[in-house]
Amino acid sequence: MSTAMAPAAGFAGKSGHKPKMASADRLLLAVSLVVPVLGLSLFFLYPLGLVAWRSLVGLDGSIGLGNYASVLASPGIRTATINSLWISALTTAVCVVLGFILAYALQRSSISGKGLVRASLALPLLAPSLVQALGLIFLLGRNGVVSQWTGWTIDIYGPVGLLIANVLYGLPQAVLIIEASLRHSDARYYDAAEVMGASHWQQFRDITLPNAKFGMLSAGFVVFTVTITDFGNAAVIGGDYRVLATEIYRQVVGQMNFGMGAVVGILLLIPTLVAVYIQRVASQRQFGGGSESAIPVQPSWLPARDLPLGMAVFAISLCMIVVVATVVLASFMFLWPYRMEFTLRNYVITLSGGYTPLWTSLLISLMAAGFGVVLLFLMAFAQKRLPPALARLLYFGAILPVGVPGLVLGLAYVLAFNVSDSVLGLLYGTTVIIALCNFYHYHSQGFLTMVTGMRSVPPALEESVTCLGGGLRCVLRDAILPFLTATTVSVFFFLFMRSMVTLSAVIFLFTPQVMPASVTVMRLDEAGFTLQAAAFSTCIMITVALAMLLMRVAMTYLGRKKAGA
Amino acid sequence: MLKMFSRPLLASAAAFGLLALSTAAQASSITVYSALEEDEIAEYLAAARKSLPDIQIDVLRLSTGDLGARLIAEAGNPRADVIWGLAVTNILDPSIKQMLEEVEIPGVETLPEPYRAEDGSWFAATGYLGAFCVNTAVLEAKNLPKPTSWEDLTDPVYKGEIVMPNPASSGTGYLQIAAILQGMGEEKGWDLLERLDQNIAQYPPSGSRPCTMARSGEYAIGASLSFVAMKSIEAGFPVEMVIPADLAGYELEASGLVKGSKNREAALRFLEWTVSPEAAEVYSKYKDMITIPGVPRSEMADKAGLPENLTEVLYPMDFAKSAVERPEILAKWRSTINR
Repeated sequence: MSTAMAPAAGFAGKSGHKPKMASADRLLLAVSLVVPVLGLSLFFLYPLGLVAWRSLVGLDGSIGLGNYASVLASPGIRTATINSLWISALTTAVCVVLGFILAYALQRSSISGKGLVRASLALPLLAPSLVQALGLIFLLGRNGVVSQWTGWTIDIYGPVGLLIANVLYGLPQAVLIIEASLRHSDARYYDAAEVMGASHWQQFRDITLPNAKFGMLSAGFVVFTVTITDFGNAAVIGGDYRVLATEIYRQVVGQMNFGMGAVVGILLLIPTLVAVYIQRVASQRQFGGGSESAIPVQPSWLPARDLPLGMAVFAISLCMIVVVATVVLASFMFLWPYRMEFTLRNYVITLSGGYTPLWTSLLISLMAAGFGVVLLFLMAFAQKRLPPALARLLYFGAILPVGVPGLVLGLAYVLAFNVSDSVLGLLYGTTVIIALCNFYHYHSQGFLTMVTGMRSVPPALEESVTCLGGGLRCVLRDAILPFLTATTVSVFFFLFMRSMVTLSAVIFLFTPQVMPASVTVMRLDEAGFTLQAAAFSTCIMITVALAMLLMRVAMTYLGRKKAGA
Repeated sequence: MLKMFSRPLLASAAAFGLLALSTAAQASSITVYSALEEDEIAEYLAAARKSLPDIQIDVLRLSTGDLGARLIAEAGNPRADVIWGLAVTNILDPSIKQMLEEVEIPGVETLPEPYRAEDGSWFAATGYLGAFCVNTAVLEAKNLPKPTSWEDLTDPVYKGEIVMPNPASSGTGYLQIAAILQGMGEEKGWDLLERLDQNIAQYPPSGSRPCTMARSGEYAIGASLSFVAMKSIEAGFPVEMVIPADLAGYELEASGLVKGSKNREAALRFLEWTVSPEAAEVYSKYKDMITIPGVPRSEMADKAGLPENLTEVLYPMDFAKSAVERPEILAKWRSTINR
């Protein structure tokens, strides 16, 4: 640890205008910085570096930019790029607008049924990707429910289907981040505006929107990047609409040409550069966030606002529920869509390890969410206290993972950790490596949510805790934690849910001994047992929901006990 | 809760322990990478364990493309002792072939020549055919005739009703066009592919998906594999399997020993079992194409209505040629069909 301490102590010393830190504080800050950064370097940057290296190696073993030249010269790469940018931009626009509406309704309106809306938003995150795809095809396919009932021939395979599928997947992630920016606001700004005669619209435009700007930018960035790197939706519902993520699959899985696949993977990192701009916005000081005596905004009932808002929000929720519910329903059918009789036969699963993989996945996900949330919290906390240049660098490293497709991340992990001559190799083939991979796969979303939440911690409150003689530890405990509890919990659950169902990277890391549930779903589907795969997915969703309920109950109980003490 | 977690925990602990202690103690345990289908593996393994009770056989199953990618990624430190039933087109890819040890396995010499490598690096005891999945309910609803050949599929009545795997991302897709090009000759072959393209609704990235799309009624016809077609019929979908009369392509499921296997003896014994008469007996429950001589025709082949003279219908594919020509053919496919 002593070597790791040195740089941290260095930066703490440089910011000379601050009062000299107590050694305990320095230690805390150093740990908050070094541990997450070490993790990020070892379990993300290093494997990614190996992929970057691989992109320079030609099929004949030569080193150079040959792969880049062939990718850029290949016919169709232009179309794929334009298509990818276009569909991602459209998805982003839809998700940010709808995401803001949903987050606003959840945080600032007094519509009823918020619990239901929240639950429906969790569905696309906790459902295996197969469920989303099957649901859309069962509903909107050429032989789907809508076609059957109305007699219309809908052709969902192509950009339209792809857009719908991408929005379903991106929207909950957008809401996660935007909500964090709306969670804490000072009612006194609104009171003052009220006194000055500002209309509700003016208050919304001049106070609410500017404060949500960072959250919306971050959400837009995340949605854009996950859309451009996602292969699953394009494969199932995109028809022949060619996108960049499909190119990677074609090269790596179709033609076993790693170099070319790695090139597309590296090129897909370009959109993450946009984040540098977002970070600039982030460093601007925010007004209207928390102050030490902030009075939380109490949503009031405004029929003109809440009625249409409520209807819009429930319409979105309904869409999310119907897609998943269709698949759950189908899992109880004898042979969808030809023999619609109730049966439990699809739940008798003996192949692919039966139900055991569920427990493996639970373990993996608890690990991923557990250490993930701690690392992200520390990183967001340290990032706020770094000199701007370093903070920017850290920020960039932390959001880079979202630009890496799961397929590329999985291969990167194999290249990095399937080694016999170093300690790193010890992790290969264990649940730990899969948990790490899942965490770093969704690192960016968690980090951005944490940073967005961290921005609403009133700086004055931190300062007053310090002035009262409290060290950094007290600032953490008394100023930051109370403000960030809700955000931290939402990040934990986000990581937990995604880790339960993510597949694209995991297919390269599982072993006969360590089989996660998402792999079972894929294997059942590939073996032709689609309805069994749907049944198994239903079991995963129920397990996740129960686990989350249990954890929530435990947290409430612990919270009460603590408050009582 | 703790009890539920104990298995994977133990597995992780075991994996740690194994690596730490060296693998000498586990000499009779092998890791097999396979692209055979899930339910056949389960049944074959049950039989293999009876014949080889002292060997612990752990199988990792992935689809052909995913398994190929994983093998290449792990090439620096191979984790598999045996590759069992991977499409021969992938096996012949130089980056995978160089991972295989050239070795003589008793029993392999009985296989006819095209089904084993001259240098002993691979052999194929089984294979599968390219086949159409035809949804009879959709044909009836749209009043379409049942196609029997590739040539039939070019009839404009099928416009927008046919799905075929994308040869750039699916081995099955490539197998289909390679068979057409080899069997009909370059000129006639490309002409057929271009006419066929007019009718193709989409080219999904997996070889089995055209069949699953056809069986659920999304499209009338899916150009796919015999295995998925037979599974769909068994499951009760209104599907018929058609082996194209003008040209039936097929793929071999090849096996081999991974170089540097730490459990070489056990791995070789397992490979020997995969060409044994006992193995052939269980294969016949699932496989329409078994290369082991003297195996009676399988029930599965009867059920699916495969022609009696299967070997005569099959075009003698040149796999080495199709592997070598792959980049060129795909480039041409891209420039003419461009999807």
